[in-house]
Amino acid sequence: MRLWQEFYKGLLKENPILVLALGLCPTLAVSTSLKNALGMGLSATFVLISSNVLISLVKSFIPSRVRIPSYIVIIATFVTIVELVMEAYFPALYKQLGIFVPLIVVNCIILGRAEAFASRRGVVESFLDGLGMGIGFTLTLSVIGLVREVLGAGKIWGYPVSLDFVPVLMFALPPGALLVLGLLLILKQVGDRR
Amino acid sequence: MSKQLVITSSPHIRDKETISRIMWWVVISLIPAGISAVWVFGLPALYLIVACVVSAVLTELACQKVMGRPVRIGDGSAVITGLLLAYNVSAGLPLWMAVLGSVFAIAIGKQVFGGLGRNIFNPALVGRAFLMASFPAYMTRFYVWKDGALVSQATPLTVVKMGGVPAVTYKTLFLGNYAGCIGETSVLALLIGALILLWRGYISLHTPLSYIGTVALMTWIFGGKAGWFSGDWLFHILSGGLMLGAWFMATDMVTSPITKKGQVAFGIGCGLITSILRLWGGLPEGVSYSILIMNAFVPYLDNLFRPRRLGERRRWI
Amino acid sequence: MSAKILSLFILNVFTANFILFRFLGMCPFIGVSRQKRPAFFMSLAVIFVMVFSSVITWFLYNYVLLPYHLEYMRTVAFILVIASAVQMIDMVMLKTMPALHRTLGIYLPLITTNCAVLGVTVLNIDMFVNGGRPVPGGFWLAVLQGLFAGLGFMLAMMIMSGIRERLDVVDLPESVKGIPIAFIVASLLSLSFMAFNGL
Repeated sequence: MRLWQEFYKGLLKENPILVLALGLCPTLAVSTSLKNALGMGLSATFVLISSNVLISLVKSFIPSRVRIPSYIVIIATFVTIVELVMEAYFPALYKQLGIFVPLIVVNCIILGRAEAFASRRGVVESFLDGLGMGIGFTLTLSVIGLVREVLGAGKIWGYPVSLDFVPVLMFALPPGALLVLGLLLILKQVGDRR
Repeated sequence: MSKQLVITSSPHIRDKETISRIMWWVVISLIPAGISAVWVFGLPALYLIVACVVSAVLTELACQKVMGRPVRIGDGSAVITGLLLAYNVSAGLPLWMAVLGSVFAIAIGKQVFGGLGRNIFNPALVGRAFLMASFPAYMTRFYVWKDGALVSQATPLTVVKMGGVPAVTYKTLFLGNYAGCIGETSVLALLIGALILLWRGYISLHTPLSYIGTVALMTWIFGGKAGWFSGDWLFHILSGGLMLGAWFMATDMVTSPITKKGQVAFGIGCGLITSILRLWGGLPEGVSYSILIMNAFVPYLDNLFRPRRLGERRRWI
Repeated sequence: MSAKILSLFILNVFTANFILFRFLGMCPFIGVSRQKRPAFFMSLAVIFVMVFSSVITWFLYNYVLLPYHLEYMRTVAFILVIASAVQMIDMVMLKTMPALHRTLGIYLPLITTNCAVLGVTVLNIDMFVNGGRPVPGGFWLAVLQGLFAGLGFMLAMMIMSGIRERLDVVDLPESVKGIPIAFIVASLLSLSFMAFNGL
């Protein structure tokens, strides 16, 4: 039951984007389409789970003074794996996500979970925490990506919604990303007050 | 406790002037430009004006209902936003896009911040910037009304941007019978409206004159092909949205600086950005963007030119 | 060359502003932009670290990683360099400029995970290293890009903190207070800055 909680909290109650306001840069930059959003979300989830598990395994060997640099090295290693795999098997996606693939390293969600959770909890809990946070991140990112793709390009997963739909280009552009995230945050706050 | 005691801060001055009175006078001052718009651009201009005003007022009503705030659509501020937005678009813009721009202007430009007096950016310009980003093709194709139909025509500023020589006289520019946004072309109509605002004392000359003066100076120095100090400054101040922007949008009470010095600085800033965009930017016109950008600096201008107590140091941060 | 520098300046400060268009450095942009003073000192620290890391990563990439074909180590190497650079600046500043350290000190550790810093170093390599060789003047362009990116960061930070200080004294609707309205303002700001496209 308690373990289930560790997984569940990342989805909404402690949603990394909507509640903790972490990982904003990739959220805004790669959410132009559902495909990109899902690609980024799953990559980050992989790194999140792997680094959470590894850090909770080795936490007792790391002197606390150098723990942050060590976490960063662990995270960067997994990011490099993602980078190389994506470049080899999903070159189109790799090109689309561009600079934001290496930047998963500095995605504050991952370091944040490493520091706040994995460095003091067991392996199973850390795994579930990483999974929940990752899915929460991916879901939010996908919602933003879907909204922006439908409104800004008139497409879903690359397929046109309707032939005579005139896209509202702004949603495909940077100001649209900021706006959709802002409105989503307002919705969340309104929901919380109810 | 049937009657609540209302406590407000000083000064406690009684005056007949109210927000809605000011707003309705601004609406009146915008009517000459509206008449000119229908005269130059025909019925499509009238439809645009009606669509923008109605949708702005309805959006205001809807937002205030949803947010549980007192309904204040009678104060006329939404009407002004609708009018200004309509004046800032091309006659050929599909009505539904204009309505969308109006909704965006009121909802995101104003009501998200809690309504009149709290917004940072001029709502009408927010609406226009949204339309420019969303439907650039429709926003940058301009028309004139000829024999009962809209005929596509380049604006004088577009012709200049393309490196050509516009075939309009100063008189045409002054009267407004040429392609452009529907409410911006007639300098005469806009000046009549500006005189009304000046007479009522709702605007001062500080912002408009410093704005127009800066554009004249900049375009005179850098705008000519024959080297420095050869630019056609009269053409630049008569064309585009400068008159509409300088008299009606840069003087917006909510989104411009409070102090006179601040207003002069605001006008100069707008003038510099407008000139830079016109002379070197990607778009032919930059009035609305430059006012939006300067809106963002208003907190600094207010702070910088705030009257200080004796001996108080000026601090910019 | 001066035309190239001017266009690099316009690119990094206006048309591709790190915050408003590239979305690099959003966390500090939202987190530290409540008030003008901290926003200013945070931006100063970011400029400092950006220039510094641009210099170091340039040498690291071109004289260590490239000759030994270790390009795939870029991410790991750069983040380590940045982290230690920040640590070093922190210590040097503490010894030599204690007054400055008191004001900037708390922001320095935050910068390690500021993606704008890693972003600018990666971008430098993407833009100024071509086919395994630096472009002519690449080093100086990289350093200048570090500086300009920092200035762009500072511009957005200062505008944002000025607006947020003003919004603090306004009775905003309860559910938009804080972070949501910051995003709405950032969106409108980004919308206005689109004017500079094509400059």
